[in-house]
Amino acid sequence: MAVCVAVIGKDNSPLYIGGIGNDTSTDNELSRQWLVHTALDALEERLATTNANNASASANAARTDLRDLYLGLLYSTDTHKIYGYVTNTKIKLVLVTSSTSPSGSNIRDAEVRTALRRLHALYADAICNPFHLPGDQIISQKFDKQVKSLMLNNV
Amino acid sequence: MADDIVFELLHSEIINYALEPSKNSNSSKEVDLSVVEYIGFAAGYKIMERLTREWPRFKDELDTMKFICTDFWTCIYKKQIDNLRTNHQGVYVLQDNAFRFLTNFSNGHQYLEYAPRYVAYTCGLIRGGLANLCINSIVTAEVQSMPSCKFHIHVQRT
Repeated sequence: MAVCVAVIGKDNSPLYIGGIGNDTSTDNELSRQWLVHTALDALEERLATTNANNASASANAARTDLRDLYLGLLYSTDTHKIYGYVTNTKIKLVLVTSSTSPSGSNIRDAEVRTALRRLHALYADAICNPFHLPGDQIISQKFDKQVKSLMLNNV
Repeated sequence: MADDIVFELLHSEIINYALEPSKNSNSSKEVDLSVVEYIGFAAGYKIMERLTREWPRFKDELDTMKFICTDFWTCIYKKQIDNLRTNHQGVYVLQDNAFRFLTNFSNGHQYLEYAPRYVAYTCGLIRGGLANLCINSIVTAEVQSMPSCKFHIHVQRT
């Protein structure tokens, strides 16, 4: 069960942070932000190694994998696991699962991948809204609703 | 195809509309196309998020330019760029031998003085697309003989 998802812009400013759940420790905005931002360094690191590997012409099997938009598990704490996804347009999507809840502790990688892909699709739709300016926070209630239902159903 | 012609007609109407203020002023040579360029920029910026959704991460700048020449161009103009040249120092020249907005006008030099109006939108489109992929650039176009058109992309390095 995902407890929080976030959309981070090109300059690491949060565009959208949404969370659900009865987990009281994550039920406030501040701890959500903290959780999401702990993962950003790991995310940058992962991207840097991707570029380095591509620059050196070492053709290995991992290379195709590294070009994937989904970056996998970034960071895990005692209570949470943080997964990352970076689009070609340098938008970072972060998903946090709670390892204390029974559904979150044995979550599969493929499930997280599909959830983040669907989040990307929702984001692309939200961006195409003419009332949304690039770089602004996403305040669309429709997007919020869709993301919340994604968190409840998919993962 | 009906949907193609809708886009073409809307585009030419946008050009006409944008030219309205400069018609009144007597300097007929100078027209302000920055609005059209901006419309292209916004459209290019937004469309890029969709187009690159199923695409693996770009290796480098050249890889990105190839994407512009193939998929991006096919999506908008139903054909690929005919020729891509670069000096490997941030200048790229994209040549389209049958640019869609110009194909209906003439096969030579007639109406050549009006051609720049019909490439401004596309310049913005390329610039916006690249801006969303974190490549800041200046895009200019050059029409020597219709319907072929060259787009020059100067990547701004900071």
